[in-house]
Amino acid sequence: MNTIAQSIGGETITTKLAMKMEDSLHAFAVRAACFIGELDMPYSEEFDGHDFGATHVIAYVGDEPAGTVRVRWFQSFAMPERLAVIQRYRGHNIGQMLIERCRKLAEGRGCNMLYVQALPGDVKYWEKQGWRRLVSEEASSGVKRIVAMVKAVDPSKPLPAVEAPESIVLRSEPQLDSSGLPRGTASN
Amino acid sequence: MAVQQAVGMANHPVVTIKLASTSDELMQCYMLRAAVFMGEQHCPYGEEFDGNDYTASHVIMYVDGEPAGSMRLRWFQSFCKFERCVVLRPFRGLGVHHEINAWCKEFARRKGYTKVYLHLQRRHMPMMEKEGFRRVDDRVFNFSDHEYYAVYCELEPVAAAVKLDTEPMVMNRPEDRLDVLGVLEKSAARGASNPHAPRVERRVN
Repeated sequence: MNTIAQSIGGETITTKLAMKMEDSLHAFAVRAACFIGELDMPYSEEFDGHDFGATHVIAYVGDEPAGTVRVRWFQSFAMPERLAVIQRYRGHNIGQMLIERCRKLAEGRGCNMLYVQALPGDVKYWEKQGWRRLVSEEASSGVKRIVAMVKAVDPSKPLPAVEAPESIVLRSEPQLDSSGLPRGTASN
Repeated sequence: MAVQQAVGMANHPVVTIKLASTSDELMQCYMLRAAVFMGEQHCPYGEEFDGNDYTASHVIMYVDGEPAGSMRLRWFQSFCKFERCVVLRPFRGLGVHHEINAWCKEFARRKGYTKVYLHLQRRHMPMMEKEGFRRVDDRVFNFSDHEYYAVYCELEPVAAAVKLDTEPMVMNRPEDRLDVLGVLEKSAARGASNPHAPRVERRVN
């Protein structure tokens, strides 16, 4: 466990990678609380079939699971997604700690780019954390539901201006087959 | 009873209820509870997942194929305890909690129980009175930031309840499908080769 000198009400905030079944349940429960409980996401969209091909990072306040992020790995970038912090623990930069843990993890794997899909309303937040739009605002066309943003893993090695055409990077991963999806639920 | 398909009025959604019997279904039960109790009611993880999940039966309810509700049942000598009942917010107001309650009562009856006991958030008393629940006594207690009553309801005994003289192979069936041939009955066709015994003593029927 990687201890960071930060605490809430005397309880230390720590982050760790999910290594055991129970750890994964902590990550999943935090996401369920935030995305299904608060934002009314359907279960089948939240648990989309990518959870067992990803790395899960969990933040704890004392022993209590407080936040999580999922990282998917591609050849040319690492993709943090499903970033969630339990309501009462917000405002303590736990999200930032989780993303930093992702960055270190990516660094250790020799990966040089982080990629996220941000909501348009959150772009300013990500920009403050040192991220930039993959495609400049002027060059991108029309109103976007999500904005692709990137950040260099090593801040001393900035990314070239354009890494990939947006249409390629934004394409979702192909599914193996329809039976691999958590949809329909009762039958699988 | 098993998988219950309640197809009512034209606009009524399709409700399917079953015993969680795979790790996926169990995960769905847990995540619905996390959504409602941790997400909406701010219950800490350690209180929601209290260590009793592996001594209980879990029931999952789908509305139009989407996980929508769940209940946990624990079995005591003289009663069945209903716990952790949730219906996700987008599925409230459809009356589907009556369907999961009714399913769980039938499930308990079939196992031979004639009493259901539960800890009810005070605000839900009028709803559960309609389902035949009344207070055990006038104690009010609190945990996880809510006030609770202990309530119970009598169940009518059912002739098909599992008892000592129930057909052994019926007892072996999945508990929510006692009327359907189970996987172990199919295995009976292989005969008893007694694979534990030394090779010379084995019989092939």
